[in-house]
Amino acid sequence: MTARLGLALILACACLPGQVKLPPYTRQVLPNGVVVDLMSRPGVPLVGIRILVKGGAESDPADRAGLAGVTAQLLRKGTSKRSADQFSEELDSLGGTFQAEQGFGSQISPVTPVSGEFLKKDFDRGLDLMADAVLRPAFPEAEVSKLLSQRVDAAKALKDNPQGAISAYFQAFFFGPGHPYGRPPDEITLARISRQDIVDYHQRMYCGRNMIVIVSGDFDPAVAAPKIAEAFGGVAPGKAYEWALQAPFRGGSDLLLIDKPDATQTYFYIGQPGIDRKNPDRVTLLLVNTLFGGRFTSMLNEELRVNSGLTYGANCQVQEPRLAGSIVITTFTKTETTAKAIDMALETLRRLGEKGITAEQLTSAKAYFKGTYPPARLQTADQLAAILGEFEIYGLGRDEVDDLFSRIDAVSLEQANAAARKYYKSENLTFVLLGNAAKIREAAAKYAPKVVEVSITKPGIALQ
Amino acid sequence: MRFLIVLIILIMGLTGLTAPLLAQPADVQTVTLVNGMKILIQEDHNIPNVAMYFFFRIGSRNEHPGTTGLSHFFEHMMFNGAKKYGPKQFDVEMEKSGGNNNAYTTEDTTVYTDWFPRSALELMMDMEADRIRDLSFDPKMVESERGVVYSERRLSVDNSNFGVLFEQLGAAAFIAHPYHWPVIGWPSDIESWTMDDLKAHFRMGYAPNNCVMVVVGDAPAADVIGLARKYLEPIPRQEPPPPVRTKEPAQLGERRVVVRKPAQLPIEMVAYHVPETKDPDDAPLDVMETLLVHGQSSRLYNRLVDKEQLVLSVNAFRQPALDPGLLIFTLQPRSGIEPARAEKALFEELQRIGNEPLSPQELRKAKNQLLADHYRELKTIAGRANLLGVYEVYYGDYKKLFSVEATIEAVTAADVQRVAHQYLQENNRTVATLIPEAKPEPPAGPAKENRQ
Repeated sequence: MTARLGLALILACACLPGQVKLPPYTRQVLPNGVVVDLMSRPGVPLVGIRILVKGGAESDPADRAGLAGVTAQLLRKGTSKRSADQFSEELDSLGGTFQAEQGFGSQISPVTPVSGEFLKKDFDRGLDLMADAVLRPAFPEAEVSKLLSQRVDAAKALKDNPQGAISAYFQAFFFGPGHPYGRPPDEITLARISRQDIVDYHQRMYCGRNMIVIVSGDFDPAVAAPKIAEAFGGVAPGKAYEWALQAPFRGGSDLLLIDKPDATQTYFYIGQPGIDRKNPDRVTLLLVNTLFGGRFTSMLNEELRVNSGLTYGANCQVQEPRLAGSIVITTFTKTETTAKAIDMALETLRRLGEKGITAEQLTSAKAYFKGTYPPARLQTADQLAAILGEFEIYGLGRDEVDDLFSRIDAVSLEQANAAARKYYKSENLTFVLLGNAAKIREAAAKYAPKVVEVSITKPGIALQ
Repeated sequence: MRFLIVLIILIMGLTGLTAPLLAQPADVQTVTLVNGMKILIQEDHNIPNVAMYFFFRIGSRNEHPGTTGLSHFFEHMMFNGAKKYGPKQFDVEMEKSGGNNNAYTTEDTTVYTDWFPRSALELMMDMEADRIRDLSFDPKMVESERGVVYSERRLSVDNSNFGVLFEQLGAAAFIAHPYHWPVIGWPSDIESWTMDDLKAHFRMGYAPNNCVMVVVGDAPAADVIGLARKYLEPIPRQEPPPPVRTKEPAQLGERRVVVRKPAQLPIEMVAYHVPETKDPDDAPLDVMETLLVHGQSSRLYNRLVDKEQLVLSVNAFRQPALDPGLLIFTLQPRSGIEPARAEKALFEELQRIGNEPLSPQELRKAKNQLLADHYRELKTIAGRANLLGVYEVYYGDYKKLFSVEATIEAVTAADVQRVAHQYLQENNRTVATLIPEAKPEPPAGPAKENRQ
């Protein structure tokens, strides 16, 4: 199998002072639709192979949240030519890694990422392992039931980790069950998944038109390209997954109180609607958020930590997934200061919306964004592969990186303050609190006209 | 740890790779200033950024009952204003220049980690020198920071099942040596440090002769040295912290601790006393840990997680230590599985390592895993700055970082068997178990709604 299109070599521009550029890479599309991106980054003798399957958690059936993730985790648990044990033995013998777990943030991921990393000299064997797992999993019955029961226990254990638990509760409460981001897998949805669901999901989703293969690191693209085409060219083209154009989200002014009677501090999230990844306000909003809750000297951390000592840290996150995400304030404080900390967070939010930011603050945010971007996104082959993946998923071009700094520079104070007013509202907020309900129930009631209370020991995350 | 934000995790993440690597010792330039501060510099121009780390040889092992947690508290205080740059200015100026920072404290060291664009190099040298020389002690700042540190303790210990159990484990495994108390400090000590405690601690720990500075990234070595001479060299040396005299006496029998807490699943931690990092047994212990828990084909994962489905996870953990420390296995038993059952399987596997010969294939596998992981740690400028410092401080010489391959290769099957036999003994272990407190199940049915 050879590539249908010639390799479109995209050259790196010379670096202008104060600019960053994406290193060169090639992109080709195999006849069956598989997209292959190759980026050579010699250095440490390691090469990463990242396979993205469109759909991700968004494609989970509403009542079987976790299906995409479970399918991915089972890929290595037996293939047409290797048992689960043989696969693990071979992978570990190479010092390789294989990750198909659904990590933090997977709930809002539009793809299932499957990635492996191998020593340079083991590229062929690594590629064979990856392709075998992704394309020819056997899903043995015993492995399926084992993994599902492990995942059910892991979902229960999430409740022992308040920070992880509140994040899942927030997703469910903010987006609601009608929205793909509002259906975190829990012990109830995982228990509904059958082997046939998994086999069908794999058959439907792991097809040529749905797959992106990104190789980055220390390898020779000219040698690797035909091998990758050979490995992935035989997959049936199938049908490209059609992402939903929109989804109804719950939102609105209410409050979820999760009771954990032994907690000595209260964790809280305050959320409101945000943006999708392609929103034209994105860069402006990220600059404003840097100032509001995205760094140590942010307004939130300054008030709640530095000036008052109420918490170890307060921040605001802008989710930027494929569909509009949330803008959410997150922090924690000792039970006795719950209302004080929430009031302070709300007051800080109100102040941003009313007073906006200053020119000096904007200049500082721009420098911070530009200074922290290269180590966070452009340093390693994995980071660069993640960027190439975003290009494919969201239909972006390399200008996304190459023009980023000039886009940052171009943001005016007026635009920044317009974004502050538009996105940082003080009404219709969604609150989620996790703590000792007996001690904070009364205080919580003043923040929303409607309060829903649930015990953390109640099975599941989603509201039934 | 000073604070946790997502960006830091991205930067510190060991996922990815960078350009001009596999550096040799010759790539690292070293200078020792007249005041005794040692500087390690490695240039890397892959991205226009610099990682600058300060390793101070002071940690919770240099504390005493009544002042436990002081080193960690001090880590926080170093951001609260000095002579030239007042309260908040360190962070304000740094972030304005495109940099960010964090810091961490261990039993042995306090480490300040700065990441910034190359243009901020001089500013960072100036600000670091200012706080190392002339930190101010504003009583209001001290009180506010007490609240922050207590909040950190609530987050990472009091409200964390793993954190609570880990603290109890350490306190039981060490009865004499300062590793007995937690790095973050006992609650009553956090509430009662005095200004005199703070000032004495600063004088003792924050002297240039007690520090190694590591600079990796897009900063010419000549510039780094020139600026260090200008800003850091004038800081006077001090008496270093007195040596830690107390040695942990040999353990004479198994110790057990139980923690009862509301929980979905139990946790069990099993600790064995092992030598300090620079002991020659470090490498065989690395290999042993790897074949026990690294990857799904590892002995403990294969048996406990996969085949017998006794636990959800099993890990081994041994952190760098100046004095003899601990090798800790952590198990999370599955629902319905008694911790005793999981523990029995663990002990059998640990005994098997010492008693049965190790196959060449299994040894090769563990070495390949260690080697690949070593490369993974070298991917980022932050990762390399940290490793250079760790090797200089804990292994006694940063150059040992460049012989890791040879060190791993030299380990024999007999070495692994010997260290297993020597350290994984019943008399040498401490077992801490978190048992979920029985609580009545809430009534089934829909969530309760209160409307106002």
